[in-house]
Amino acid sequence: MSQKAQGSIRFSSANIVYPNGAVGMRDLDLEIKPGEFVVVVGSSGAGKSTLLRAVNGLNRLSSGKVEIDGVQVPQRDGRELRRLRKRVGMIFQDFRLVRRLSVMSNVLIGRLAHVPGWRAMLNLWPAHDRAIAIKALERVGIPDKAWVRASDLSGGQQQRVGIARALAQEPAIILADEPVASLDPVTTHQIMKDLVRINRELGITTLVNLHFLDLARQYGQRIIGLRFGELVYDGSAATVTDDDFREIYGRDFTEDDVLDEDEVA
Amino acid sequence: MGVPLKPARNWWLWAGAGGFLLAMTLWSAQGIGFSFSELFCNLGSGSRLLQESWPPDFAFLPRLYQPFLETIYIAIIGTVVGGILAIPIAVLAARNLSPGKLIWFADRNFMNILRTLPDLFWAMLFAAAVGFGPVAGALALSVFTIAVVSKLWSESLEAVNMGLPEAVRSAGGSWLQMVQFGALPQALPHYVSYVLYAFELNVRASMVLGLVGAGGIGMILETQRANFEYERVTMIILAVLVAVLIIEQISESIRKRLT
Repeated sequence: MSQKAQGSIRFSSANIVYPNGAVGMRDLDLEIKPGEFVVVVGSSGAGKSTLLRAVNGLNRLSSGKVEIDGVQVPQRDGRELRRLRKRVGMIFQDFRLVRRLSVMSNVLIGRLAHVPGWRAMLNLWPAHDRAIAIKALERVGIPDKAWVRASDLSGGQQQRVGIARALAQEPAIILADEPVASLDPVTTHQIMKDLVRINRELGITTLVNLHFLDLARQYGQRIIGLRFGELVYDGSAATVTDDDFREIYGRDFTEDDVLDEDEVA
Repeated sequence: MGVPLKPARNWWLWAGAGGFLLAMTLWSAQGIGFSFSELFCNLGSGSRLLQESWPPDFAFLPRLYQPFLETIYIAIIGTVVGGILAIPIAVLAARNLSPGKLIWFADRNFMNILRTLPDLFWAMLFAAAVGFGPVAGALALSVFTIAVVSKLWSESLEAVNMGLPEAVRSAGGSWLQMVQFGALPQALPHYVSYVLYAFELNVRASMVLGLVGAGGIGMILETQRANFEYERVTMIILAVLVAVLIIEQISESIRKRLT
């Protein structure tokens, strides 16, 4: 088993059918190379979240397999799955911070899987892990907020804490599930720039779900389009056309699909 | 379109319900042998008891200090021990956190049994086990506290936002870490609030427990009553009333600030 922080992902004829019969993923074959910055687009219900959550085992496959660096993602809870999740950071639309606790306590959650259980339980974090948490906060530009209550931060700052928590895992892969959907336009661009910068600086493979087409085009390196759980587009962000987007969404797109309205062609 | 005519009241239903209640009450009164004539005839002895109970015997107050302290000790031990033991029991009984259906089911039923049996039962049980006195009282109140706090708090735990626990799991956290870092911080204010509430209940309950020999101020109340020292009984009841009111005021003001 390779312990090197590479971060390649491979889906092989993977399917996900939910208990209610809804298809979340259909015959997916997909390979993502280490260090890629991939934006996943598609209308709501197309299976964007399903795809991301299958990578770290939050969603289980009905058939097929998904591998990280050649190691299959276990399809049940246990030590194996936890060891794998340790190397995969996740960022959420709703931040998911402990609002009552300090920024530092929140970032240290990213170190949970790295320290002995009793230390985490008693909040006796080793200096080494504290240093990693502080470095993560520095990387997102808010080291001064370390001892502020998470609930006292603005939305953009809270999402930066979310990113810092993921970075504290020292991950090979970052999964960002609609990371800017609850932010205003200005903050949205800041967070997207942070994600791109971190991807370039640290070479962490990054998957971002977005529903704004202009953001996908602006920040994506590679764009993956999903429709009804099926891969319908896979190509470079530089060459994606409006027709491609129409194909992904199955309709003409409107100003609801872009963040900056003046960019609608 | 105007307001339609007010529908007629169903007088028959009201009359029937009222008649049923009245009949039930009369039937029960007869069952326990209640009669107004007897009540009036015996009013005299009732007022004699009240006269004998007044004024309260203030000279007796200093002798209440020690048993009163004992009552507080019992309540504190019961609250702390029960409050700590209630944590795992509440977590396992919360449907969203419990690690398995079987554990959840077993724990739920365990909680129900604790709650169904009254505190007096536990006091007598422990008095038989460790002898009459404050230790039996403290043990009984521990069980009582577990019953109260685990029930109330497991419901708060079921209402936590599961996004954060999922975030902890996605970072490689174990089940225990998911609970500790994902769920507990959200429900902590409720926990403190319920433990304080249990303390209020415990102070009151520890008087009743004294009646069956579980120590504290209830025990001295029982001895004075048995010796027909009604002025002292009044004194005890007054003192208890004041103490309970003070404790409830303090606890309530803390709880208000928490939630």
